[in-house]
Amino acid sequence: MSAHRHKRAPQRRHRTAPATLCAAALASALLAGCAGVTPDHGFAGVADSTRERIGATPRLAQDAAAAQELQEIVRAELAAPLTMDGAVRVALINNPGLQATYWNVGIAQAELAQASRLPNPALGFQRVSGQGEVEIERGLNVNLAAVLTAPLAARLEARRFDAVRREVGAAIERHALETRRAWIEAVAAQQSLDYARRVHAAAEASAELAARMRGAGNIAGLDLAREQAFQADAAAALARSGRQVTAAREKLTRLLGLWGQDTQYTLPERLPDLPDAPAELRDVERLALARRLDVQAAKADAEATAASLGLSRTTRFVNVLELGYAGKSERSAPSMRGYALSLELPLFDWGGARVARAEATYMQALQRVADTAVTARSEARESYLDYRSAYDLAAHYRDSVIPLRKRISHEVLLRYNGMLASTQALLADSREQAGAVNAYIDALRDFWSAQAALQAALGDRIDMPGAQPMPPAANRHEDHQ
Amino acid sequence: MTSRRNFITGAAMAGAAAVSKAAMGAVPEAPQQSSAATVPPPPPPNGRPYNPVVTPNGWSLPWRMKDNVKEFHLVAEPVVREIAPGMKANLWGYNGQSPGPTIEVVEGDRVRIFVTNRLPEITSIHWHGQLLPNGMDGVSGLTQPPIAPGKTFVYEFTARHAGTFMYHPHADEMAQIGMGMMGFWVTHPKDPRQHAVDRDFVFLLNAYDIEPGAYTPNVNTMLDFNIWTINSRAFPGTDALAVRKDDRVRIRIGNLSMTNHPFHIHGHRMEVAGTDGGWIAPAARWPEVTVDIGVGQMRALEFTADAPGDWPFHCHKSHHTMNAMGHDVPNLIGVDHRGVARKINDLVPGYMVMGDKGVSMGGMRMPLPENTLPMMDGQGPFGGIEMGGMFTTIKVREGLARGDYRDPGWYAHPQGTVAREWTGPAPEPVRAAAAPAAPDEPVANVKRGDGHTMHDGH
Ligand SMILES: [Cu+2]
Repeated sequence: MSAHRHKRAPQRRHRTAPATLCAAALASALLAGCAGVTPDHGFAGVADSTRERIGATPRLAQDAAAAQELQEIVRAELAAPLTMDGAVRVALINNPGLQATYWNVGIAQAELAQASRLPNPALGFQRVSGQGEVEIERGLNVNLAAVLTAPLAARLEARRFDAVRREVGAAIERHALETRRAWIEAVAAQQSLDYARRVHAAAEASAELAARMRGAGNIAGLDLAREQAFQADAAAALARSGRQVTAAREKLTRLLGLWGQDTQYTLPERLPDLPDAPAELRDVERLALARRLDVQAAKADAEATAASLGLSRTTRFVNVLELGYAGKSERSAPSMRGYALSLELPLFDWGGARVARAEATYMQALQRVADTAVTARSEARESYLDYRSAYDLAAHYRDSVIPLRKRISHEVLLRYNGMLASTQALLADSREQAGAVNAYIDALRDFWSAQAALQAALGDRIDMPGAQPMPPAANRHEDHQ
Repeated sequence: MTSRRNFITGAAMAGAAAVSKAAMGAVPEAPQQSSAATVPPPPPPNGRPYNPVVTPNGWSLPWRMKDNVKEFHLVAEPVVREIAPGMKANLWGYNGQSPGPTIEVVEGDRVRIFVTNRLPEITSIHWHGQLLPNGMDGVSGLTQPPIAPGKTFVYEFTARHAGTFMYHPHADEMAQIGMGMMGFWVTHPKDPRQHAVDRDFVFLLNAYDIEPGAYTPNVNTMLDFNIWTINSRAFPGTDALAVRKDDRVRIRIGNLSMTNHPFHIHGHRMEVAGTDGGWIAPAARWPEVTVDIGVGQMRALEFTADAPGDWPFHCHKSHHTMNAMGHDVPNLIGVDHRGVARKINDLVPGYMVMGDKGVSMGGMRMPLPENTLPMMDGQGPFGGIEMGGMFTTIKVREGLARGDYRDPGWYAHPQGTVAREWTGPAPEPVRAAAAPAAPDEPVANVKRGDGHTMHDGH
């Protein structure tokens, strides 16, 4: 039985029948009975949920053979220009930091398995000799407290295991988002470099022509110096653009976890084209509430607190709360770092205060769920609006600015044909057109980045038909004629 | 359109004329002309006889006689004028065209002219050069109230002196003349034999600033005009002046542009026979091949067409004989484009090197902005004439019929009368020894043509 299938089972049971210790114990026993270490170190469940949410499957490099296999997958992925999704796939199986995080699941699963087992009975043997007498004591000791608290311990470990899997899932999603953004930045930087080159080439041609004109005696030194100064500025901008490419690419390389030969991977020449239409999401808030990991974690916490409350009421003498909430951290990353179990004798304290505290803690958990939900709704709205306005801006460039720039270039060329405009005017227009295309690339980059952020905020994939790679001619000058 | 002919042949008040009789009451019909073709002149249907003039790319305005007064009707209105095939302009003019129709009267005629204003602003008409009562001089504000839009004014005076005149607004002149409001006026002598010639052409010189790709002249332009025209036509849109050999030819030119135009004839000598002030006594005339026509002036030039052929007749300011060219285009003459042309072509596909060997397009035709005439696109029997603007031809032919003004086609040169390529050995030119250039003089150079006329970079 795989671990993840009973992550909710005991809690649900306590919700429906919270008043009996027997039920709690039974549930825990059931849980303990099937908890064990699985060959995948508990990672399969995490991988399944991630595939569904971000469209890529993280894989655990659990031994040399698996590592080899993953390496081959990475190499295959890197053989062709790396797509945005391909980058996420590589990162999720190749980033060593992420792999380290994956092992947290295995550790949690192992601890759950450990907690689910009764402690071994201890066989005692004592021999005491002196003054000619030998006393031998034999005894079989069982840690009664451990036996009594084992089901509870297992239950708490199960929750911890559940939380760790959520944490790892969140880490994977964060890494996927970062990788997407880095990929977008790297491709955009490359494209911008291409346009910096064009601008520089135009400035260079203009300066060269000016030098020829100077040589022929047709212009003054002042005009030549102006053209040369423009070229010098363009060269500086080109160098700056080159630095940007290096920085963006290295960031992506780090996220992909690549080194050595593998860093020679190639990226597509262009960002994917803008989809024909933006995704129409009717109810982003509901989507976020249903799918976000932090919302799920807060809910799970509240449910667990409810269960603990019932437990506290019935047991009174078992210090569940302390262990339940020892080391509880922030709303967004609930975690239990450890616990201690103790069984008290009800001589002085009949547990009333503890129950009150359990109730207060439960109320607190409920408010935390509400807080998480409010934040999730707001973030969903914000990122959706950001996504839509980023789409509109990019579409404005695609549908208005770029066609107008092309129209202008066409008209300037016609004027040049009629000797109504100069070569310099043509080159200046070519630079301006390059600038407009560059602004479009920026807008497109912002759109894809906003889309990635929206996916993260909703905890869901947004697949749009028509998101094809940009055709080669779309932002070139070939469309002049 | 109501043509002049059916106006004259009795359907005078009929047709699709824009000003309806009912609206105008006793005002005569205002005939319209929609074509920029030259309308050959018919003899006068009534009144005193005269030898009519020909308005190239224009027409003369019909009249009606009423109580022994010649009544004309001019309608000032926006018009679309074809400057040349391939280019139209939104102008203001009279009765469908700019310039307006030529008015022809005879010395001593009593003339009544109705002027209807269909412009969006006030106007008036000044009868340039006429001696008339002060109140008929057409200066808005000074001699009359302006004619408001929609209103009709009437001018009445006697054409006292035979001669060459013009009409144009004297209200908001810069805009209205800049938009093409002008027309020719000829007062013929009482005796048709006096000053009689075989062919009598009249035209006005005007200029417009029409941005390439645009249609309406910029009326705020003061000097940088780019379309130089004869009767609001630019070569190759100007009709040739067809002339029978040995005809006595008169060309009357009025200048309503903002600069002078030295008009130059080929193959003939001409003399100035008349000015704004009237006819010059024959003994006082002197021969010329170029006559400068100042701003606001009129000149009547005469010559005997004794040399058959196709002879240019044009303004000698060279930028007036080409159509729109950029005023800020840098000089590329002598600039070596090798290498750099390819670079530019990478950035601007479709780029072609031009101007490095001069501005001649060598017959190259490239797409231009809409409604834009090529700079020097006139074509002749031997290739590109490389002229535009204020350029026309006088086609002198044997045996043309009197009154036949149709273009006779290209001149057929008699054997051996056309310049030809010399294929024999060329004599060595004698040159003075060149002084050695100082080392710090990089820009003084001499480049001679090597016979190539094609442009690289494409
Ligand atoms: Cu001129």
